[in-house]
Amino acid sequence: MAQIELRSVSKHWGPTVAVDGMNLALENGEFVAILGPSGCGKSTTLFLLAGIYAPTSGDICFDGARINDVEPRDRNVGIVFQSYALYPNMTVLKNLLFPLRFTSVKSEEALRQAKAIAELVQIEELLERHPSQLSGGQQQRVALARALIKKPNLLLLDEPLSNLDATLRLTMRGEIKRIQRELRVTTILVTHDQVEATTMADRIICMNAGRVEQIGTPENLYRKPDRTFVATFVGSPPINLIDGHVRNGSFAVGQKRIPLSGSCRDADVTLGLRPELISVAETGLPSEITNIEPMGREILYTAQSEIGLFRFLEATPQPRMALEDRVRLHANPEDALFFEQETGSRIEGLSLAAFS
Amino acid sequence: MAVATRDWNALARRSRYIRQFQNAVLISFLTVISIPVVLPFFWVLTISFSARTGGVESAVLWRACGVLVPAVIAYVVAHLTLKSVRRRLFAAAALTLLAMIALTVTVGNDLHLNNYRFLVNPNLVEDLRGAATAGGQFPWVWEAFFNSLAVAASSTLFKVSIATCCGYYISRYNFLGRSAYLQSLLILEVFHPWMLTIPIFLVIFWIGLLNTLAGPILVLTVIDLPFFIFIMKGFFDAVPWDVEMSAMTDGASRRQAFWHVVLPQVRSGIIAISVLGFIRGWEEYVFVTALRTGNSYWVMSTYLYYVADDVMGVDYGLVAAVSVFYMMPSLLLYMFLQRYLTQLTLGGIKG
Amino acid sequence: MMQTQTRRQVVNAFIFLGPASAFLLVLLVAPIIVDLVVAFTDMSQTVRIDEYTTDQFRKIIRPNEEALLGFELRGSFYRALAKTAIFVFFTLAIFNVTFGLLLALTTTALPDWLGGTFRAIWLLPRMSPSVVYALLWIWVIDPTERGLVNQVLTNVFGSEPVNLFLQHPMAVIVVANGFIGASIGMLILTSAIRSIPQHLFFAARADGAGPLSIARHIIMPALRWPLSYITVFQSLALMVSFEYIFLIMGPARSTMTMAMLAYTKTLAPQIGSGQYAYGAAITLILIVIGVVVALLLYRLTNMKRLLAKPRIEVH
Repeated sequence: MAQIELRSVSKHWGPTVAVDGMNLALENGEFVAILGPSGCGKSTTLFLLAGIYAPTSGDICFDGARINDVEPRDRNVGIVFQSYALYPNMTVLKNLLFPLRFTSVKSEEALRQAKAIAELVQIEELLERHPSQLSGGQQQRVALARALIKKPNLLLLDEPLSNLDATLRLTMRGEIKRIQRELRVTTILVTHDQVEATTMADRIICMNAGRVEQIGTPENLYRKPDRTFVATFVGSPPINLIDGHVRNGSFAVGQKRIPLSGSCRDADVTLGLRPELISVAETGLPSEITNIEPMGREILYTAQSEIGLFRFLEATPQPRMALEDRVRLHANPEDALFFEQETGSRIEGLSLAAFS
Repeated sequence: MAVATRDWNALARRSRYIRQFQNAVLISFLTVISIPVVLPFFWVLTISFSARTGGVESAVLWRACGVLVPAVIAYVVAHLTLKSVRRRLFAAAALTLLAMIALTVTVGNDLHLNNYRFLVNPNLVEDLRGAATAGGQFPWVWEAFFNSLAVAASSTLFKVSIATCCGYYISRYNFLGRSAYLQSLLILEVFHPWMLTIPIFLVIFWIGLLNTLAGPILVLTVIDLPFFIFIMKGFFDAVPWDVEMSAMTDGASRRQAFWHVVLPQVRSGIIAISVLGFIRGWEEYVFVTALRTGNSYWVMSTYLYYVADDVMGVDYGLVAAVSVFYMMPSLLLYMFLQRYLTQLTLGGIKG
Repeated sequence: MMQTQTRRQVVNAFIFLGPASAFLLVLLVAPIIVDLVVAFTDMSQTVRIDEYTTDQFRKIIRPNEEALLGFELRGSFYRALAKTAIFVFFTLAIFNVTFGLLLALTTTALPDWLGGTFRAIWLLPRMSPSVVYALLWIWVIDPTERGLVNQVLTNVFGSEPVNLFLQHPMAVIVVANGFIGASIGMLILTSAIRSIPQHLFFAARADGAGPLSIARHIIMPALRWPLSYITVFQSLALMVSFEYIFLIMGPARSTMTMAMLAYTKTLAPQIGSGQYAYGAAITLILIVIGVVVALLLYRLTNMKRLLAKPRIEVH
């Protein structure tokens, strides 16, 4: 297995910049997710690692050696594509054997390995079928097996679950995680679904517009997002953001002043507060309920306060409140995050002194 | 997992080497097989600008090649090694300038426009040969030019509008006998008018359109018509149904939906078959000659054919100049609209 | 209500299908029927039918010694048949299929601007008018030292000038038609290669396949249909085409294919002798071959997709 590293890698397509100065180092056996909206350069990063695209500048290194020019076939990476990219003219078995055709593996040994990998992903009884005779989930498993059969240094998954329906997605999420744990292969998952990223990956790389916004554990990204973008992209329902100013040690929106804890010079800032961390209590910020959205297990409320709209969750099957009810919103003041408006970066050490 | 340590640097070196080798092999293979295709065209071009009465000047061709071949090779190398667009443009400009200078030095003195005098001289061939030429009453080239233009343009207009209407209807309407209609179109696609030259001549004769331009125009309209209908059907098949359905729920009739909503979406298909149709009509020779007895009308193909027949061996330059003049419209049209042609597929009959 | 629906249906059919149907009926279907009739008459010199006879076919199948132009007709059909077979087979095998495939594979393997340039070069013969293209060939193979081929032969290789018109006439028309046929094959195959999903190429490269393996395992399976289409369709097109043969070689015996024979016996300018019935009889044979090709094409076609039902029912 190789030590994998990106050193300020950029990829330009004419005037458009797909990946912009990306730095990244992967540890052996790690499961990393690249999370970002569509068109943020995450698939491009994947194809750069696979050697399908060549970087415009910067170095891609395996084991410390620059491999920008190494052909995909010499890199020993396995890819699972969003469309699965199974060879339509070959049976499942032939698909699995295809990568071994270009190695020195003998044919009986290849067959044995194909059987073994088919067993691992549970497609033993499908080996003689053609891809067109398989369901989406089955194609997915075949694609995974084909990517794994040559024991790759690096497994790349390009939105592998996006073409599956909701229940199947849940199953495959667990399956991929299990197989990855069993084989201990370094894996990169590209996805736009934050649930997929947080549930499967050890670390998440959050990308936007070709740049890395933050790298960290799922918990880290959730609790301490470095940037406004990460805060909005991770977490569902999305974080509450309220624009305001720091004026003389307090957070000001319109006429309202809320005291701050921690020091900060005067600036335009954004307050971020997760909906899960807000509840209704006896004391707190006076608000009025403006929208109620039952989501099954819980209910999403929207409330208008003096400083802006807050969304929050209540885990009750029936709404406890009605539209236009006046309530007080409560939250731990230290849970509040602040971001500089100009740069989008989080202001370390700044939070509210009280939430009322 | 097997922990195979690899020599990444060696692999990178090998990959670079293989890639360059592959590109070099492909480019040289394509260049070698393309030379016989492109050289004759270039030859005719040089003849038309350099030949003087009585001979073919090929020294100009080889000297010009001696300049242009290194220039082209230099540009390809430059393009493959230079990465920035600005440097490529600079290289192109510099090489063009160098090539122009070299061309002026090597062949500049031999170039002249005398062979193109037929464009302004209405009685050219009579001047050359006296009045009794084999072609009979030779027209001015512009008469043939505008006749050709009329034939190509009107047959294209007919063919494209007919194919579009028919393609739309068989793609989008359900009607009695639809599958029989489609299947007979498929069979008719096989019968190229070339194989029916004789009976088509008889039919045109009985209709009474022999020796008129209407004859070739009508026949040209039918050439490839089933094929064009299938191409258009393919384009219409690809237009999403929702668009048409929403146009109709918005209050349009189907004819209005066709005109305002569906037709704009197959624009590139219409352009593509128009280019093909025009080029076909512009070059037509067989039916133009088969459907006339004597010289009742002249078009560019017959004009060139008889010019070549008449003054061949005497004035290669003139023949070459007429050829270049005749080629220009098709080639220009092709150059500017070729990106539409690449979108053509086999018209929805693919298995 | 029902009546306006029906009326609109009729009017629509008339507007959209009318012109196409009329043109195809008058200028494709009617000629086929006319040919069927004329082939069994004695129509010649003038466009008049005196009697119905199977003479033409007798003339075709066996040499007619009493014919006025007997020396010309003797065995000419069999010879034409053989010439046609040679011409079609070599043009198709060497150029339309092999060269078309090579061009499509190599130009798509290069960067797009370069591949596109080479494709544009190969389309030059197809896009230039037939008379110009034929004239180029006549000049290129000119038997004197002026011809381009002879210039190269004498100056580069130091050999004697060759007269390709006399020595290798069949090779000339095979190559001349082949350049055009190759470009058609190239176009069809290029668009077929382009329609292979990109991810398949990516997957194959990541799986370790080199360019040759990709060509064999990814591209070739996708070209099976277009290749059989080219073979079936282009063999007929070559069989019936005579434009370039006529323009380059004239009515030379050495390249007299069936379509050329029919044309020179009837309508060719200056030399056509107006033996309409005889030409019609040869045409009828071509039509029969056409029907066979049509049936093959029929089998190649995905009928389900061709006949897929429209989804809006009102007219």
